Amino acid sequence: MNRLQGKDLINIGIFTAIYFIVIFAAASIGFIPIFIPLISVIVPLVGGIPMMLFFSKIKKFGMLTICGLLLGVIMLLTGMGYWCIPTGLIFGLISDFMMKGCGYKNAKREVLIHGVFSMWVIGAFIPIVVTRDAYYQNLLPGYGQEYADTLMAYMPDWILPVLLAAAFVSGLVGGLIGRKLFKKHFERAGIVS
Amino acid sequence: MSRELLASQKNHSGIVLDPRTKLAVLTTIAVFILGGSYEGVMQYYIIVLAAIPLLLLLSAGKWKGAVLYLLIFGGSLCLELFGLSYLTGVANFIAVAIVGLFLRFTPGIVMGYFVVTTTTVSEFVAAMERLHLPQQITIPMSVMFRFFPTVAEEWSAIGDAMRMRGVRFGGGKAGSILEYRMVPMMICSVKIGEELSAAALTRGLGGPVKRTNICKIWFRAQDIVLLLICLGAFAAQVYVWAARG
Repeated sequence: MNRLQGKDLINIGIFTAIYFIVIFAAASIGFIPIFIPLISVIVPLVGGIPMMLFFSKIKKFGMLTICGLLLGVIMLLTGMGYWCIPTGLIFGLISDFMMKGCGYKNAKREVLIHGVFSMWVIGAFIPIVVTRDAYYQNLLPGYGQEYADTLMAYMPDWILPVLLAAAFVSGLVGGLIGRKLFKKHFERAGIVS
Repeated sequence: MSRELLASQKNHSGIVLDPRTKLAVLTTIAVFILGGSYEGVMQYYIIVLAAIPLLLLLSAGKWKGAVLYLLIFGGSLCLELFGLSYLTGVANFIAVAIVGLFLRFTPGIVMGYFVVTTTTVSEFVAAMERLHLPQQITIPMSVMFRFFPTVAEEWSAIGDAMRMRGVRFGGGKAGSILEYRMVPMMICSVKIGEELSAAALTRGLGGPVKRTNICKIWFRAQDIVLLLICLGAFAAQVYVWAARG
């Protein structure tokens, strides 16, 4: 059976919820403007732990795509803009293909896949760079001139690829951390079969 | 269950809305108040949008929430309109940031609160089925919303237990916070998840036939009014863009 069953769909929901809560707690530091670029490092770093466990439950194609889509939808509802929906879909889909490629068993490859999947976080930064003027205008009435200027100074145009790379690298590190905890606790406790 | 997001029991009070309308209003608020540009006509239109949650809270008899919302949002709005120009320097920077956060986040949070406390899981699923969303989206999404409060509850319980063992900031074991909190969290979530899927499978989730739903949802007059207001927001935005050229 290769179609997604009820159990798989429930797993997606559960792990997306855990992942979102963990990264949301970690990303709250973004309220301070100079830390906003750091979000792309911190989110993949802490997200590695739930995601590595989720990866071990994935045995079918499409689960990561749905997970990415759901993340994008919550990001929209929590005010991070709609760019996370396409990035979540794209990187979810790539991760899905990579998962399929390694037969859902290769633990080393899963660390790499977490790196790729983590790049969805770039969706939160796209509006700052791509539609810079509009974004700046949006900030002015809500947050004031000084906040907007500080943020813009920390987000030059070339930062987008840098952030993407940062997300990938810290995704790898996060995956390794997740992998380590995973071996230490979950396999021993029999959570993973 | 003390805390739950999507209500499991229906409470009949206030204006009854179609879940689809609630979602539309929530999305509109998220798009225009949280992430919108406050230029031209829009800065007045967001007040109309922000009034919807207030109206809904009042009609549902949630007086405390309504007063609190009115104080926070109304207060921030007044400050922004009249007070802020008197402050300068750092005080202005901080005040603008705080007021901005309140202005942007409270309507969304209040509307989200209203949606999740007045919509049952079945209604939510029925609404998403009517929108012709595939099962692959509706099931994870309803599980996710159902699961948020559970995770929060477990998280605070684990936090209590870990504080007792000295695993907290400034407790000498700050470095292991991540591990000592995340691992129990994962393990109990997986357990809860397995129970949840067993319960859902017993009720025929994931079966080959189309599931029926006892919830009857349809658009009433109040739904149409609110949907028109949401459409108006999009129209106003288009107008602003057109005027800008």
